[in-house]
Amino acid sequence: MPALLELTSVTKRFGGLVANKDVSFVIDEGDIVGLIGPNGAGKTTLFNCITGFLHPEEGRIRFAGDDISQARPDRICGHGVARTWQLVRTFGRMTVMENVISGALKRTNRVREARARAERLLEFTGLAARAELPAANLTLADKKRLEIARALATEPRLLLLDEAMSGLTPAETVDAVTLVRRIHAELRVAICVVEHVMEVVMPLSRRVVVLEYGQKIADGPPEEIARNEQVITAYLGERRRGRH
Amino acid sequence: MALLLQAIANGLLMGFLYALVAVGLTIIWGLMEMINFAHGEFLMLGMFGAWGLSVTLGLDPLVSIVPIGLVIYGLGVLVYRLLMRRVQRGDPFTQIFATVGLLFLLQNSAVAAFTSDYQYLTNTLLTRLSGAKLQIFGINLGIPLLIGALLALLLFFALYLLIDRTEFGLALQATAEDREAAMLVGIRPQKMFAVAWGLGAALVAGAGCILANFFAIYPQVGFPFTVLAYAIVALGGFGSILGTLLAALVVGVVQSVTTVYLPPAFKDAFVFASYILIGLFRPQGLFGRF
Amino acid sequence: MDGSSRRLGPRLALGALLLLALVYPIPLQFSGYTYFQTVGFLVLLNAMLGIGWNVIGGWAGQFDFGPQVFFAVGAYMAALLLIHFGLNPWLGMVAGVVGAMLISALVTYPLTRLRGHYFAISTVAIWMIAQPIGATWELINGSRGLFIPVQAGHGPLRSLAELQFAGRTKALGYYYVALGLFVLVLVAAHLVERSKLGFYFRAIRDDQEGAEGIGINSRLYKVIARSITAGVYAVGGVLYGFWALAVFPEQALDLNWSTLPMMATVVGGIGRLWGPVLGAVILIPISQLMSTTLGTGPLAGRGIDLIVYGIIIILIAALRPTGLLSLPWRRWLGWAA
Repeated sequence: MPALLELTSVTKRFGGLVANKDVSFVIDEGDIVGLIGPNGAGKTTLFNCITGFLHPEEGRIRFAGDDISQARPDRICGHGVARTWQLVRTFGRMTVMENVISGALKRTNRVREARARAERLLEFTGLAARAELPAANLTLADKKRLEIARALATEPRLLLLDEAMSGLTPAETVDAVTLVRRIHAELRVAICVVEHVMEVVMPLSRRVVVLEYGQKIADGPPEEIARNEQVITAYLGERRRGRH
Repeated sequence: MALLLQAIANGLLMGFLYALVAVGLTIIWGLMEMINFAHGEFLMLGMFGAWGLSVTLGLDPLVSIVPIGLVIYGLGVLVYRLLMRRVQRGDPFTQIFATVGLLFLLQNSAVAAFTSDYQYLTNTLLTRLSGAKLQIFGINLGIPLLIGALLALLLFFALYLLIDRTEFGLALQATAEDREAAMLVGIRPQKMFAVAWGLGAALVAGAGCILANFFAIYPQVGFPFTVLAYAIVALGGFGSILGTLLAALVVGVVQSVTTVYLPPAFKDAFVFASYILIGLFRPQGLFGRF
Repeated sequence: MDGSSRRLGPRLALGALLLLALVYPIPLQFSGYTYFQTVGFLVLLNAMLGIGWNVIGGWAGQFDFGPQVFFAVGAYMAALLLIHFGLNPWLGMVAGVVGAMLISALVTYPLTRLRGHYFAISTVAIWMIAQPIGATWELINGSRGLFIPVQAGHGPLRSLAELQFAGRTKALGYYYVALGLFVLVLVAAHLVERSKLGFYFRAIRDDQEGAEGIGINSRLYKVIARSITAGVYAVGGVLYGFWALAVFPEQALDLNWSTLPMMATVVGGIGRLWGPVLGAVILIPISQLMSTTLGTGPLAGRGIDLIVYGIIIILIAALRPTGLLSLPWRRWLGWAA
């Protein structure tokens, strides 16, 4: 079975700066993959390339066999890739319900149908009580949940979560992780999480891909990654010998 | 060919004047990302001021730049404090809109005060020199325009020094780059914004004093300059002072060359057609940081 | 979800408004004050244009200062088709709408690469380019303009069919036509607002990247939004052209055709369906009132009405930028839950 998402030698440059260099990995149907790396490693840039907001200079990105390397973001969404944003991008002046309806309208032209879908998703994500509030009035945690609900409304096969846990309290983080697990289990959506919080991403992921300075330095199950010398060095700097 | 060179030369001179008109808008934009649709109204007030002082006190408009500049500076600060400060945090459209209201207010106050009749400056330095020419390499440069352009360039350069070399100018740049960081080092953004508005208004009013020698003076004269300034600032890349100068020169030349080959009604049309072409290939303008 | 009792208040108000609008010109007709019927005509025209502008400006959130170009397209197309082919003005209106929408789509698509202020200036640019073309193009008789052949002195039905009213019922006739077209546009806008288009426009306004992320082709929908605005403007252009019995560039391309509806929309409530209506009802009579009170006195023609406009806009921008409709009037009227 071909991989759901396949990156082959993806390179993205901004003038002289190489943000992603020769990055290759796959995500299979139903996978949960964590994408980690120190700040500036190129994780969000990679997300932007996958979702079409940026286009790689070299390499190929394939989704379910189709080449999406140079495709527009709305087309890529049509193929089945949805995302959330590091800095939340809800539609502030629309209500929570209207936000999700907007997502659902990708798969239907009829507002009534979209509303029904939206209602179910608001239930699923626990936002039903706040359906009529303007999105701008939500807490950060709820805004992030709204983004997830809205993304799910487009019926994706792959959901990319860009630092969905950042800015959340520990309690909110637990809720968020539960939601992600439920999405994976019940909606059968493959998930790729960019995350900084190790305690979140390691238990959640089946596989972890590590970036440093734009390059992939490790790819494997979490236990392996946690022991990987290069990864440890990348995060903590040179291993100190003896006491300090 | 000679005609073309002549047109280019005139266009460049006019361009320096346009640069002075547009740079106030650039400063306000670079600092606060606000567009002032009433920008040209300050120019109009500068023109009327120059005319008034010329008629009543016999002051030459080029000299009037100083008192008028100061008064309009105060007006700009006042406009910021009373109005723009309130709309700054809102929707960009509301900001534009507030300045449209200001446009109506200023323009029609002038109509109420002076009627829509055209006024002309007479007996000033530049009008008395009208017709005098300087010949360089077979190109005729009108002396009045030359003086006006040089003066504009001087003022422009003075502004550049102010922004680039003085502590105050650095504070202004800092606020434009990162408002919060600027606050951390003791700069008060509100003060910077007020000064920017004052400066922007004063500069364009000063340009008005010069332009009053060349154009008819009437309440509606400002808006076409606002539109042109908006295009110049966009062409140059919003926020870039050097870009504004170069874009203004481009605009001056395009206007001038267009009138050689097409009826004068088309001169602005070509400027805007150029804007669209450049905008499509380089959305951030010639020098902009997008 | 909505209790029918909660809907009752607004529905009664709507009905009352419609009745008022229908009945308004009648006493004026008998008393001979037909001038005020014309005021009503102008209110309806500008309200309609405001609703049109609201689509690109209020819903899609793109600053558009150039829709008057499509006003002119509509007016000129209908006038030309009548003059050269004798085509009925209503059919000419349809042609004008189609023409304006097509031209809008063609012209706007490349411009949608630009964002925010850059886009705004590009709309001004199109207008600046249209002006000299209008003034010099021989096909439309340049700045001399086109005159609509007068076909006066017919009964009400024939006048309606030819969109030309004359004599004592001139202002009355145009008022009702304007009312009809206004209602049409209002209903159409309402349908668009509730449709997929309405959601997509507002999503683009609120966050364009977010919108693209959920599969919205932002460029396409901006073009659609502007085309709808163009269509409404074309209707307005035809209506005005036949009211004035002449179309010429300075009049058809007048910036006031965008600034006045825009102001009305912002004063009333940008992005709200009834915003432009409320704004037009407030602003236009003010101007007319000023004209009549100041009459030919010393302050006449001194732009006092525009000074008042300026003050109103400044006040709204500073104190209530979301417009008058955003005031809690539902609560005040006791309709709210």
